[in-house]
Amino acid sequence: MQFDPRTKLVAIICITTLAVLYNTPGPLFLLLIASMILLLFFRIDPRRTWGYLRPFLYLFLLLFVIQVIFSPGGEVLLAVRQVPLITGRGLDMGASVVLRLLVVITVAVLLTTASSRDIVLGLVQLRIPYEVAFMVEVAMRFLPVFREELANVVTAVQLRGVDLQRVPWGQKMALYRSLLFPVVYGALLKAQQLSEAMDARGFRAYPRRTYLRRLQFQSLDYAMMLLFLAGTSVLVWRQLV
Amino acid sequence: MDAVIVQGLSYRYWTDGPVVLNNVSFRVARGEMMAVTGLSGCGKSTLCLCLNGIIPHSRDGAMAGSVLVGGKNTREHKVSSLAFEVGLVFQDPDTQLFAPTVEDEIAFAPENMCMAPGRIRERVDQVIALLGIEELREANPNQLSGGEKHLVALGAVLALDPPVLVLDEVFSGLDDAGRQRVAAVLEELRSQGKTIIAVEHDLESVAFADRMLVLDEGAVSRLDRTEALLADREFLLAGRLLF
Amino acid sequence: MAFLALNEVAFAYRGQQKRAVAGIDLAFDLDGITAIVGPNGSGKTTLTKLMTGILQPDAGEILLENRTLRSYSLAEIGRRIGYVFQNPEQQLFCATVAEEIGFGLRHQGWGPSAVRERTGFYLDYFELAPYSNIFPLHLSRGEKQRLAIAAVLAGEPGFLIMDEPTAGLDAYRKRLLADYLHKVAGLGRGVVIVSHDTGFVQRVADRIINLENGRIRGERWQRGDSLDAV
Repeated sequence: MQFDPRTKLVAIICITTLAVLYNTPGPLFLLLIASMILLLFFRIDPRRTWGYLRPFLYLFLLLFVIQVIFSPGGEVLLAVRQVPLITGRGLDMGASVVLRLLVVITVAVLLTTASSRDIVLGLVQLRIPYEVAFMVEVAMRFLPVFREELANVVTAVQLRGVDLQRVPWGQKMALYRSLLFPVVYGALLKAQQLSEAMDARGFRAYPRRTYLRRLQFQSLDYAMMLLFLAGTSVLVWRQLV
Repeated sequence: MDAVIVQGLSYRYWTDGPVVLNNVSFRVARGEMMAVTGLSGCGKSTLCLCLNGIIPHSRDGAMAGSVLVGGKNTREHKVSSLAFEVGLVFQDPDTQLFAPTVEDEIAFAPENMCMAPGRIRERVDQVIALLGIEELREANPNQLSGGEKHLVALGAVLALDPPVLVLDEVFSGLDDAGRQRVAAVLEELRSQGKTIIAVEHDLESVAFADRMLVLDEGAVSRLDRTEALLADREFLLAGRLLF
Repeated sequence: MAFLALNEVAFAYRGQQKRAVAGIDLAFDLDGITAIVGPNGSGKTTLTKLMTGILQPDAGEILLENRTLRSYSLAEIGRRIGYVFQNPEQQLFCATVAEEIGFGLRHQGWGPSAVRERTGFYLDYFELAPYSNIFPLHLSRGEKQRLAIAAVLAGEPGFLIMDEPTAGLDAYRKRLLADYLHKVAGLGRGVVIVSHDTGFVQRVADRIINLENGRIRGERWQRGDSLDAV
């Protein structure tokens, strides 16, 4: 059961729209459950999803705390010297912000099931200029490379006998800073080399280009898109009226 | 008309930097295979970049002299249109391969040339057959071994079907089987009348070239028929080209 | 007691059915030059990464100085085993060539004059002195390779593993490398090189291990030839 990447894109846009529209924890939570079910439907391993969410946990916690403290209102649950800290409304807002982010990230994982070339084809068939569309493919190709590169540099540093945990804090910052510079520079160099290699294969020789494969919508795609667009319209209508 | 004409080519990477290429001049006839060799740092890779227009278009620095490929002056045509005359396979496959599958990678060049989808498929199949990499068709280029990546990078450029092919260290990173395969491919391309310029450290791999150009610190130190040059052990030892 | 021993080691990359290496039994001492040869994809690089602790085996055990490799931190391993990656750019991260060579020493607490002396020696030995203030990523491939080797050797580890050290080196520098490898081995250090440069391996290795499809297919000993005859 293969779905066109544009169908997935429609699903993502619909759910994200609803996530922006709703601002109470109840509906957002339901939306999150719906997103997770959607991922399961597309046979995405929940462990992989967790892998994408994990790096953001601290951010979520921080956002939650900030929202709670800075949106006071309603029932006061904790106050320090007359200043309300944790309030009913604060908790609501905090939960909403975090849930909203969770929904957006979760549903974006849907994109990872499409091959980067298919995504480019999808974008191009949506009339996005190919120079822009290909940058998506390049980004998808290289983001994991940079992550790996960072890991490699850390490995290489340790293999030179430098114990990163033992380095005193003062030196540590300077160490990381001096490591980051060549890594970033290396990344920029790679980007330049890749763009030269693409040009050397005729990229941007002509304003248009042809494609080996084209994406075709199947009836399943139409059904899915209809479902999402209809469902979202109804929910948006209900929310606004 | 000669396939490649280089005249008085000089280059430095930045205005008062060291001279990387020093008044290099040579011609390569159509259908000829020329090997370019020299010690590391002698300017071989820089020369490659001058042959397809990356120098001067994509790199800053001062270039003097001229390079004509298929009659086109590299200064006057952008790199992507020069790609129809000359295909350059870079030294490092990791910064050339970016598609999700090998098939997509090889299709990239014909797509850029606006070929019809049916013909693109034919071209891709031809290149895959020529290199003997059918089993890699659906593979992710990023996850291939070093030698396989080199083959795919070569295939991606062969898909341009350019009259002139410039190879920067194509044999490095290949094991014996890989070398044989590439050598056979090059022989096949020669029989099709292609002009080949192969930059290579390892003289053995390119012993079947017609002529050999030796660079020494950016200048032409010798240009001769390959058998004559390889037979001149004194010269090779003096230039530290023999191990 | 072998310096580094592998017992029944096996490893598969995540998401791959086929094991990259299996049934590996090897022992290395702190002397001699060993070459691991085999066609592309035979598992040579994977094996070196297992030996250095970059990867953990799925099965079997690796012992360094009779302690299991797992019990060492990567930095502790790095002080005993120097590893030169196949792609030199993966291990160059300083702003100048000289800094790169001295990096490990500086951060292990060496004093500046000692660092300078050691750095100077390796700059000269690998003919990198004229480049000592240049940004490493600007060097040509062959020069980067030499720099990576110099930077790893600067810490003078007892054991050296090199993954395809001759790729990108010209004939003259291959000879220099071979000379240096012999010197290193002669000082009571062990060297392992992974290579498919059969000519170089013939000239340099005392022991040749054949790897094919992730398994050891054979081992033989020979005398690494002296390099006077050219």
